[in-house]
Amino acid sequence: MATMPAFLGKTAHAGASVVRTAPAVARPDKDPCRLRALPLDDVLFYSKRIDNSRLVRAADPRARGACWSAVGAAGVLLVLLTGTQVPNLAGRLEGYKLEALKGEERRLLDERRTLELQEAELLSPDRLERVAERQNLVAPTAGQVVHLDGNKPDSAFALVK
Amino acid sequence: MLERRLKWLAGLVLIWGGVIFCKLVSLQVVHHRLYAGLARARQEQVIKILAPRGTILDRSGAPLAMSVPTQAVFVNPQKVPDLGVAADLLSMVLTMDRADLYARLEAARDGGRGYFVVERKATWEEAQRLRGMAFDWVEISSGSERHYPNGSLAAHILGGVDFDEKGNAGIEKSLEADLQGAAGEERVLTDVKGRGIDALVESEPKPGAALTLTIDERLQFVAEHELAQAARDKGAHSGSVVVMNPSNGEILALASYPAFDPNLPPGPEDNPEARLNHASSVPFEPGSVFKVITLAAALETTRLRPESMIDCGRGSITLFGRTIHEAHGGYGVISMADVLKHSSNVGAIRIGMTVGEERMHEYVRRFGFGEKTGVPLPAESRGRLRGLERWSKASLPSISIGQEVSVTALQLAQAASIVANGGLLVRPRLVLKRGGQTVRVPAPVRVIKPETAVTMRQMMEGVVMPGGTGYPEARLEGYSVAGKTGSAQIYDVAAKHYTHYYNGSFIGFAPLNNPAIVVVVTLNGTHGNLGFGGRAAAPVFHAVATEALRVLDVPRDLGEEPRPVTEAGSAEDKDDLSIADLGSSEPNILEESDEDASAPTAPVGPTVPDFKGKTMRAVLAEAAEKGLPVVPDGSGVARLQFPPAGSMLRQGERIRVRFSR
Repeated sequence: MATMPAFLGKTAHAGASVVRTAPAVARPDKDPCRLRALPLDDVLFYSKRIDNSRLVRAADPRARGACWSAVGAAGVLLVLLTGTQVPNLAGRLEGYKLEALKGEERRLLDERRTLELQEAELLSPDRLERVAERQNLVAPTAGQVVHLDGNKPDSAFALVK
Repeated sequence: MLERRLKWLAGLVLIWGGVIFCKLVSLQVVHHRLYAGLARARQEQVIKILAPRGTILDRSGAPLAMSVPTQAVFVNPQKVPDLGVAADLLSMVLTMDRADLYARLEAARDGGRGYFVVERKATWEEAQRLRGMAFDWVEISSGSERHYPNGSLAAHILGGVDFDEKGNAGIEKSLEADLQGAAGEERVLTDVKGRGIDALVESEPKPGAALTLTIDERLQFVAEHELAQAARDKGAHSGSVVVMNPSNGEILALASYPAFDPNLPPGPEDNPEARLNHASSVPFEPGSVFKVITLAAALETTRLRPESMIDCGRGSITLFGRTIHEAHGGYGVISMADVLKHSSNVGAIRIGMTVGEERMHEYVRRFGFGEKTGVPLPAESRGRLRGLERWSKASLPSISIGQEVSVTALQLAQAASIVANGGLLVRPRLVLKRGGQTVRVPAPVRVIKPETAVTMRQMMEGVVMPGGTGYPEARLEGYSVAGKTGSAQIYDVAAKHYTHYYNGSFIGFAPLNNPAIVVVVTLNGTHGNLGFGGRAAAPVFHAVATEALRVLDVPRDLGEEPRPVTEAGSAEDKDDLSIADLGSSEPNILEESDEDASAPTAPVGPTVPDFKGKTMRAVLAEAAEKGLPVVPDGSGVARLQFPPAGSMLRQGERIRVRFSR
């Protein structure tokens, strides 16, 4: 773990033993050019070797129980939050989809009306007449068309002459 | 030391918390409405749900008028930060000329306008692109625009709409309440990107009701086409055609000339007469076609019969100081049927005098003249029929030949229907279905006795027989026809005399025994011999009636008979002129026709047997025995057949037999 002395680079290594010496005074106390010391500027740290080899891990049932309790509580809390928020989130996502589909439906309905208009313009009698004239077609005379199904005169017909 | 610092820290946290709490109170309580409104404005959009104006359809369901959605793009020129950039963007998205748009935008800004229409008919994609740019100076509104896919077809029936899609003429105006829709509103919750999350419909849209007219698109086209052609050929300034079903009053076609395109807004250069519906709004003196009413009244109220002899005074009659001539020559004593056939003015006047003023007035009213027919068209004219108390001594003879009275083509169709359907007044109607519901037909009213109607039909058939004023133009191949020509001189109000310009007209129906159609043709402002009803209007009747009978699939009741041909402008023009003070030296003198029907070419093939009254089994057996192809239709006994019995069957032709019980 990086300690503050390590961070500040003010650690002193003196082999196995580290001797703490008084700070050397480089400048007189009342040096007018001296800057204000940083906090703990005059404190020197040293690393202390700690031997944990004699420590023995021992099970602590109470701490373990508390840990599991905390995990359980967190789990329950998570389930509760999920249970309350997921439908909301799902509803919102479905709302997005629904609104997008509604917009699409409107657009398609508009498009259908536009296409119906185009179809009507293409089937206008005036246009059909001009097309028929170009192709040398004439309208059948009365009695020339025989409907194959008497009940549905527009369903099917055949020219007999 | 540490404690003191902790106290300070706690104090600071407390103050910080207090400030937050105060702010929360301010936001949530004090200014709740303001911020809630602001939030709503950001998170909610009120969207207008369009309710399109009702579609107008013809009787077979073909659209005649429909509204399509449009996206209109507006800008506020005063808010545009840089006109050049705005012109660049808008011209790029809307595919417009940049320089032109810039000039228009600049003019609008300099003119102090806060509203400038960039494009009225932007596509949905273009509108979406502009919406995505989210400029505060661009506004896009959804609307709809009325379209008439067939252009000028049935323009006088349909009318038109203004910029707000409100009807301003025709059916669009008179049935505005049915056609107009009411837009709805929807409140949409949106996210920060403007995407919809949830929606609440505040008010449901109410689309306009679809109207199905009695008009047949194909017949309407033929009627307008033939009318325009005839008007151009004969020099008529206006005209009209009405095709009506005499049994139920359904108007199958109603054409008026000149026409206009309702897709285009009226301009200063437009002919104002083009917007008039000459069939329903412009009355005219009917002339000789009105003799049908005179003779029907005579059959009903006097002892005159078709064979009763009428003294036609050798061509002129002087009444109350006014001499009335036949158009040419004159007739001696002829039968009442011949009076109609030759359209004798003197004969009609004598018959009218026999009927008398009161009864004549009553019958003219009974036939529906002098009152509106009731079709849902704005500005329908009731014509002009003066009250009996305002009749002069000369009124009766004048009205007997169709003068001193003005009528519309629609009224003539209604009157002709009375004769055609056996004596019942059936009101013409234009709307078949309203919002999917069939419109009720009002009960007909009896006007003349059935036998009178039958007699009139027979007499009117004479008009299209050799020697009649409608022969041969009004003859139809394969169908019996009844009709009456009319050529009324147009009265010059300024000069106070009749001119040599005519209202050429023809009323007719077919087939004779069970008429399926009544056709009325009028051409106003024709002149010369070719401008008479028999010459100008009867050919239009022929073309329109032929097409109508074909479209309606009406069985033929006559054998095929080649149509006699007359040369235009020959000396066969018929005397059907209602002439007031026209001397025999006038240049428009007509001559009697010669019956020069060309001989029909002899067809080759087997003779068609008479199947009428036989069962289907018997018909099929007989046909099989003779090797004749038969197309049976229906069940029961044979009622109708085509080709008729006795005619020759052409190669490849089949005999169509209709059976009924």
